[in-house]
Amino acid sequence: MNLDWLDAFLIFGAFKVVEIMGLGLLVHLQLGLTRVANFGVVGFWGVGLYAFGVAHLKVDWPFGDPYQFLVCAAIATVAAAAAGLVVGWLISELDDDGTLVGTLGFATIVVILATTQQGLTGGALGLGGLGFPYDFGRVKTHEFTWLLITTAVVALIFVYAWRVHRTPHGRLLIAVGANEALARSLGKSATAARLRMMTVTSGAMGLLGAMHGVMVRSLEINSLDVGVTLAALAALILGGTARVFGAVVGVLLTVALFDIVIQFYLPIPDGWNTQALPVAREAVFGAAIVLMLIFRPQGLLGQMRRPALMRRLHGDW
Amino acid sequence: MTGEVVRPQILVRDVTKSFSGRVVVDVDELVLGDVPVEGLLGPNGAGKTTLMRLIMHSIPLDGGTVSLSRPGQRDVVLSSTRTSQMAGLGVVKSTQVITDFEHLTILDSALLAVTEARYERPFAAATDRAVRKRHEDEIRHWLDYFGFHDPLAVALSGGDKKLLDIVRCLLLQPAVLLLDEPTAGLSEDRTERVKAAVRQLASTGTSVVIVEHDLDVIWDLCDEVIFMAEGRVLLKDDPATIRANPTVVESYLGAGSA
Repeated sequence: MNLDWLDAFLIFGAFKVVEIMGLGLLVHLQLGLTRVANFGVVGFWGVGLYAFGVAHLKVDWPFGDPYQFLVCAAIATVAAAAAGLVVGWLISELDDDGTLVGTLGFATIVVILATTQQGLTGGALGLGGLGFPYDFGRVKTHEFTWLLITTAVVALIFVYAWRVHRTPHGRLLIAVGANEALARSLGKSATAARLRMMTVTSGAMGLLGAMHGVMVRSLEINSLDVGVTLAALAALILGGTARVFGAVVGVLLTVALFDIVIQFYLPIPDGWNTQALPVAREAVFGAAIVLMLIFRPQGLLGQMRRPALMRRLHGDW
Repeated sequence: MTGEVVRPQILVRDVTKSFSGRVVVDVDELVLGDVPVEGLLGPNGAGKTTLMRLIMHSIPLDGGTVSLSRPGQRDVVLSSTRTSQMAGLGVVKSTQVITDFEHLTILDSALLAVTEARYERPFAAATDRAVRKRHEDEIRHWLDYFGFHDPLAVALSGGDKKLLDIVRCLLLQPAVLLLDEPTAGLSEDRTERVKAAVRQLASTGTSVVIVEHDLDVIWDLCDEVIFMAEGRVLLKDDPATIRANPTVVESYLGAGSA
């Protein structure tokens, strides 16, 4: 495959777009449907990243790739899902403010553990040695293939989120988010519904963390930055928390704008890419959240359109 | 009491509840379900709604127990049962305050009430249409009965939301149905429909308990009336006797009401 036309940095920019889109879709299920304000996205993603990295680098597996990748990715997914289950249980009786602080606290714990457990994680120095689970010869081909694989995974997450809206599971999540007391009176266990949702979505966040580890080929403490959470939340709030396409539109208008359009297609001065632009990016994302919450809290795509969906599903009623 | 009851009954024993030091419910012993339809009557602050919430365990009791007896089944202590398990035991309550699920349509609400937990898991294979097919007749019956002409829309008016709440309760096929002001804000025609639905449900073996300030509903529907004041049960008798009782007339109905 001749990829000379493709800039390696562009591949990585597109990877970030796809990755944040996946996280945004999962936050949509948490915040948009179930109204669980998860401000610790990077924590679940980081558990996946580090569980994958440690399992890959510290365990002497009797088999090589791609099986080693598959097993380690499964470990990352299960570890993040378990974290989602535990954190979900701990915050189950908290209000919105408590949930926000609790999930943020969890993310902080993950960063602290990753920093201090040097024997396992490499601490602040990090660990190198991760690689792609295939060998085609050229790095750019590897990265482009990994971008395609990650895109396929995020497409599956999109299909899952899209389908949730059309199933009894999605209706339960909306009901629990909208009126927990009323849902309980109908015999619905709001706690169980939230825990299942948190387990599934956190597991998927962990898988995306593992896929990030493969792309960057190392564990770096700097990657556990609040910017991951900020990017996913800013995109979703901009696009619309209650709509599946909210995350897609939001990521295109935020991460894609900064990490692809501005970075590659605008004539910005040398040095801005590494210094001014990342800072400006986070500032703009933060401002976008504040402005959207003030002027259009439902996001660009607006409210959930449940009657229209129900007419498509049950038009023959 | 297993095997002795002929209808589902709620037994309230030594139940107390205080808010900020003020006793709002203090019931030594009360059996609900002796007759098909019972009314809970009393002035504002008598403790009627709080008693219902204590039965549903949506607020914790300060003391005492609430239990459920059903013909041919073991008794269940409701006061140590989670609220979300009440509907599964057949104990269902409508809400006093008008409430609904934001965004969900009328059909959504009905489907939510009837959908079994196994279909609501994250990776359950069942589609929404499959669930609807399983319960379509009962949902269609009640929605048509109460005049919901567009179930694919969101309930907007207070009356629609009130009726939808009752529909959800009816779809749960309750053994004991607690209705808290079910006709408040409803038109005369809709009130009559609610009354007819309650009569039909009671005739099939459900025990119904109603809190209602529209006294005509109480006198028309109830086989027995319980009069409460200041958290205590003062009287329990047939509607005519309660209506003529001097204490009730003096403290609640007012002179000339009989």
